Parts: sequence; structure tokens; C-alpha cells
Amino acid sequence: MKNYLVPLTLTLAALAACQPASENKAAENSDKALAFPSTYSPQPSNTVLLKNAKLIDGVSKEIREGDLLVADGKIAFVGTGEVPDDATEIDVEGRFVTPGIIDIHSHLGNYPTPSVRAHGDGNEATSPITSEVDAEHGVWPQDPGFDEALQGGVTTLHILPGSANLFGGKGVTLRNVPSRTVQGMKFPDAPETLKMACGENPKRVYGAKGGPASRMGNVAGYRKNWIKAAEYKAKRDKGGDYKRDLQLETLADVLDGKILVNMHCYRADEMVQILDIAKEFDYKVTTFHHAVESYKIGDILADNDVCSAMWADWGSFKMESYDYIRENVPFVHAAGACAMIHSDDENNVQRLNQEVAKTWSDGNRAGLDISKAEAWQWLSTNPAKALGILDETGTLEAGKRADIVVWNGDPFSAYARPDKVMIDGAILYDRETGLKPKSDFRLGHADLSEGVR
Amino acid sequence: MRTLLLASTIALFAPAASAQTVFLDDATIVDAKGQRVTSDIIWADGAIVQEGANLTAPQGAETVSGAWVTPGLFAPMSTLGLTDLGSAGRGNDISAEDAPTSVSERAADSFNPRSPYIANTRGRGVTHAVVAPGTSSGSIFAGTGAVISLTGEFDSVLIEDAFVFLSLGEAGGARAGGSRAAAMAQLRAAISDAEGFFRRYNDAPDGGDALSRQDANALRSAVNGDIPMMIQADRASDLVAIIRLKDENPDLDIIVVGATEAWDVADELADADIRVIIDPLHNLPTSFEAVGARIDNVLFLEEAGVDYAIANLSSFRVVKPASLAQHAGNAVGEGLDWGTAFAAISSVPASWFGVESETVVVWDGDPLNATSAPIAVTIDGEVMSMDSRITALRDRYNPLNTDQRPHKYR
Repeated sequence: MKNYLVPLTLTLAALAACQPASENKAAENSDKALAFPSTYSPQPSNTVLLKNAKLIDGVSKEIREGDLLVADGKIAFVGTGEVPDDATEIDVEGRFVTPGIIDIHSHLGNYPTPSVRAHGDGNEATSPITSEVDAEHGVWPQDPGFDEALQGGVTTLHILPGSANLFGGKGVTLRNVPSRTVQGMKFPDAPETLKMACGENPKRVYGAKGGPASRMGNVAGYRKNWIKAAEYKAKRDKGGDYKRDLQLETLADVLDGKILVNMHCYRADEMVQILDIAKEFDYKVTTFHHAVESYKIGDILADNDVCSAMWADWGSFKMESYDYIRENVPFVHAAGACAMIHSDDENNVQRLNQEVAKTWSDGNRAGLDISKAEAWQWLSTNPAKALGILDETGTLEAGKRADIVVWNGDPFSAYARPDKVMIDGAILYDRETGLKPKSDFRLGHADLSEGVR
Repeated sequence: MRTLLLASTIALFAPAASAQTVFLDDATIVDAKGQRVTSDIIWADGAIVQEGANLTAPQGAETVSGAWVTPGLFAPMSTLGLTDLGSAGRGNDISAEDAPTSVSERAADSFNPRSPYIANTRGRGVTHAVVAPGTSSGSIFAGTGAVISLTGEFDSVLIEDAFVFLSLGEAGGARAGGSRAAAMAQLRAAISDAEGFFRRYNDAPDGGDALSRQDANALRSAVNGDIPMMIQADRASDLVAIIRLKDENPDLDIIVVGATEAWDVADELADADIRVIIDPLHNLPTSFEAVGARIDNVLFLEEAGVDYAIANLSSFRVVKPASLAQHAGNAVGEGLDWGTAFAAISSVPASWFGVESETVVVWDGDPLNATSAPIAVTIDGEVMSMDSRITALRDRYNPLNTDQRPHKYR
């Protein structure tokens, strides 16, 4: 996390005020760095000792037994360590304790429920090039889906623009916390991201609206705009007069390595073409999303150090998803490439542990030998890595944010549910006490408070 | 690929090796009602040869421990065999946007048993399915649905005219021209057209209020109660309207699909003998007619004694039935009894359509759990292939595959 340039840019921007502009190239983005800053602050938390846990930490390939101490919203130790006098002990009695789940592909907030037309804020489908838009400006913090995802153990979400456009706009990484504003959810200092799209969607949306109308047009569209971005970047690097252009600024920041490229791409052959474009213009694709055919090119993805965010068993809903298999995630993992689960769906985001359970078991049935603890990396470790926040979350390691789920059973099961979900050490969902957030939208509708028994 | 060591049980259960004998040690056997017993089983030629406690493995038999043996699953809702791809296009026969017909459109006429999704889905333990058409503009009626078995053979349509499918609520309102009232008016008029068929259409092909002669004729068996009328609706007030309709037309055999807010009128649905197909994972207010969606809807139905089945009604349609068992498993996770949940995806919907088929699925674990999968499926004594398009792709690209030839030669 600290290796990414966003915090650095902020620091330099602050310095820029007392330095001549020509001496400070990193200062040019000062306007941007100050735009829509995160106002997130953790909810109050106590010093808590989770005793007698079965720990899946997101790093080890083994399930360990031990304790975990949360202090000041951070993980103080995992296993054994010194327990302060003021710690509240919670004996979890052998229950599973895992990192909070991270969904790298969500449209919660920008395609919220109810799914009325007025809520369609995820695709700026007015031009194939809209790198100037930001997903965060379409996110409705009252989407009831956030609350349900929390109850499924999701503590961090990456909200992306849709896939109508070649360059769809910037994504935003959110803490899954109750907030009146999206700024109050923004993961502080998380790297910026850009959504791009391959294949059928851009050519379908723009085929009768000036193009692209084919995969050829898609590729020409990427290349033309990378050329423009390189020109813009050259001007910006010189530091002289140039007019700020939001669309090209995003792309130039990609070329500067400041923005992580997240690319919607299904077909194997198309992903490899994208990797060639990235080489031509010297930028990096961090993650292919959906990536239904990644299993066909696991070796190439490993060589290029590119992640794939995938489903367990979705496919055949259109031609480019026709070749789905149930073992995509474990096959990519076994090839040595970075693999992870993703939802792209307000239902599956509530059960990503089950999605991993399915694909993990199918992979082992096909002959692989992956442990549950290792497969957990698909739920939190690898998404954190792909979002550039692994230094802060994604695993149970001392010093990290205490984003933690306590389960009432084996999370690799259709029967297990989170009992407690902590974000930065604060318990935001507690099955036993009934503590859970409730969106404004839920008020005044059907009373869902009374259970059947 | 053939050199690759897949789980050896799969090969043993394959039709080519049907002469093989398998010893299922401490198998969990589930009956049609979802009741469980533990027993040893000797399995050969796709059938249980012997069942009992403390059997001895026959000589040469492969032993499998921890298996579950159940009846096949029955998907109460699907579009299997109606489309080549989920997206629209010529190969998609789910609905007919520009056709002048409605009720008389029969899913059985479109059904393709050779669709690769049949084998994909059978590989998840589904042996039977309802195949329902979808609505299109101009009519609340989608057409007439079928019940199929998943053998993949041309004789696999078991009931050609199994039910009539229609939409009320928001979708039905939109199809009828813009309101719920218009949808209900169309339905009442259509029922009258079918009831008065011989009178209204005797010398006047367009003598009906809502339906053409062929569509009114096709609706007759549903109006008589000979086959179910399957109605998609979610809002509690829509369910109340359906209960009223049943009160006015006691012959109707109604199955409501969706029923998101059924928990609010569960007793009334039970009293009216209205059956329900629900998705037990639907807990978000996906529309204004689903603001009362809740994860424990199924528990209310169970408590009230409603006759219900479980289906996957969300997510992408062509792969929907594949996660049928996971849906039932999640109902168990919310507190539903295991056997009741299993029956809701097997014997309950089968009984609705009078399907009495001998099916056996051998699973490598609890079928309702996310990590289990079938290792053998038989339908009426026939051992089904466990191969499908997705397993062929899996085997070709398995990272353990040591074949050095280009993938297209593997």
C-alpha cells in the first residue's frame, strides 16, 4: 500500500504550496489529489481477544488454532501474545475466524436495489471513452445491498463503472461501513483504479452509434487513446502550460503507474491481445475481470503477473462466456497466476465464501490438491493485492486493520453464516445480538423485524 | 487426457464401465421424503444390488466412503433446452416478441434435448425439470410449459402440455399495457374466453374478449383445472389478488412463481391451496414489488403449511438449475429442516406434475452442501453419462494434463 503513489502525491501536493511549480512535477495533480477526499474514520472499537479460534489467516496453507487480539482497531497478534488487562474476552469456542471478504467487482451503490431505471448510475454509455467519470459519483450509500453484503462477511468493496465503454471510468474502493456519504466509505489512500472493457459490450452498445462495431474497432479505440494520453503526459511532464483534461489525466496517470487497470475481458485470445497493447504503451493491466477463459492461458497470465477475478459457475449467458468451466479459479491458481473470486452481483456478494467452496471442491475433484486455507486467498488476500491494499487488509496479520469475520461453522459450506463482522475492530454486524445496519430505504416498508419463530 | 488421474470413482461409475461393482461404505441413503438412513450398498450396473448394515465389499469392488444416495433433483423452474445462449438471438426460443400467439406457444415445440446445458445440469444431480417459456409484449401469457427428464434423448419430454405460464405484478402489468389492473382484466377476460370457448368462437374465430381462438383453446385445460396455471407474482397484494381469483374460480390449480412477499400472506395461501415456487436467497428489495423480500420467507411458508418448491429464480437463466441444491442448502442454513429442503427440490415438485420416475444420484457428500457433487446419475435404470461440454473443456485445459500436443489435438 505504501508503495503506491497516492499518499506520496498527497504529501508532495502539500509541499507544493511553498515551492516554485517548475521544480515540482508531482504537484500538477494537486487539484485531483484534493478532490473528494476520504472522510472515513473507524467506528469505535474495544480491545477484544477472540479466544480459541480456528484461524484461516489468508497467508498460511494450514488452518491454525489460537487466539487473536484486536487493539486500537488493528490486529495486535494472531496465535499467542500478550493480552492487556482491559481486553474483552470473547471465547469463540473453536469457530472459524477469517479475514473480512473483499469483493473486487461490485456494482453496489451504482446499480443499487430497487433496480429501477433511475438507479442505473453505473454506465456513462454516451461515448466509448469516458475515463473522466468516477464510479464514486454514482454510488448511493443507502443501497440496501451494502448491508446484506456486510452480513455475508464483506468488509471491503471495489465499485466499478459498467462495461459499456472501452474506457469506462475510475473505480472506487470502499470500506463496507454505514455512512451518509460515499466519502465516508472511501478506503483512505487506496490506489485509484480504471475500468476498461473488452469484447461484446462496447461493440454492442456503440455498433450503431458511431462505433466501435467490432473487436477490431475496440482495439483501435484503445490504441488511439493511449497515443493521446502519451502526448498529454509528455506535456504534463514538461510542466509548462497545458489545459487540464480529466479524460486524458486518468489515462496519463495509468501511464505513470498511479492507476491500476481493471479490465473486463472474457476470452483468452482477447486478454493476450490486451497484454500486447499494454506492452506497446508501457502500462500494466492489474486484473482481468470475469476472465471466463483465464484457465486456457494460466501460464501466460502468470508470466505477465496479471490477476484474474472470476466466478465459480457462471457462464453461457452470452457468446464470450460460452466456454465457462467450474474450475476456472483453481486452474488459474494452479498455473501460478493470481486468482480470485468476484461477484458482480448483489446476491452472490452475500455468499462469496460459498462460491469459493464450490470452485475449490471442483478443482480438487479434477485432481488438484489445494487446502481450504490456501483457497481462502481467493476471497481476501488476492483481491487486496490486486487493489493495492494488501499492506492494510486482506489477511490476519499483526499490524493490519482488524477486518475480521467470525463464522458459525465451516465457511466452506452452504450452511455457515457470519456470526460477527468487524471492520477496523468495530463489530458492525452481530448475528447473536441482532446488530446490523438498516438502509434509509428499508424504513416504512414491510416490517421485517418479526421472525417466524 | 486419458492418462490423467481423475477421481477414480468417476471412471468406475461411467457407463462404459457399468459392469464394475462399487461398494459404498456407510452411505447415507435419502428417500423421496428426504428421510435419511445410513447403510452399506453394493452398486453395480447403475443400480443398488444389495443394501444393509455391515455388508462386506465384494472381491474386486472399488470402495467409496461417505457417499450419499438420493433421488434425482427436480428443477421446478428452468429454460433448459429453449436457448443456445442466455442472450437474445435466433437460437433463443424462450419468448416470441413478434408472434400473434400466446397461450398456444408450447415450450415442448422449441425444446432441444441435445442442448449442452442438459448434460451440464444433469452433472449437478438434476434429473427432471420444468421448462417454462417467458412472456413478451402484448400478453400476460407466456405460453404452455413442459416437464422433461434430463436424459438428453428425443423422448425426454414427459409432459408436453404441463402448465400455462403467465405474469402478473409489475411484469404482467407491463405486458398488458401498463398496469396491474390491465393485467388482471386480461386474465379474467381470458378465463371467460376459455370457459365459453364453444359458445364464443363457434363461428367467430375472433369472438373472444382477450384471446384468439387457438389461444383460448389452449387455455381450456388450465381453466378446467386439468393442468396448473403458473403465475409469476411477488407483491403481497398481488398474491391476495390471486387468492381472490382462486376464490372466484375454484377449479384453478394455481402455482405462484416468485412469491417474494408470500410470508405476509402465508396462511391465506395455505387456506386457498395455492402452491408456491420460491427462491430462498431472495432477500433484497430488487423492485418495489419486492420491498418485503426476506431470507426466511421459506420458514413462514413451512410454518403455515404452504405446499412449496425451491428454485433458483435469480442470476443467469441458462445455468440456473445447476445451483438448485445450493439454494436448498441455504434454506437449511436459515433454519429449514434438511429433509424438507431436499423434498422441495425433488419429490414435492415431482408430485405436482405426477412424475414417477426411478432416479438415483450418488453424491460424494451431502448433496445440499456447496462442496458436494454427483458421481453417478441414473434415470429409470439407465446410467447417465457424467461427461458434458464443461467437463470436456475442463479436461482439455486441466493444468495436470501432461499432453504436450496443441490443445486442439488433446
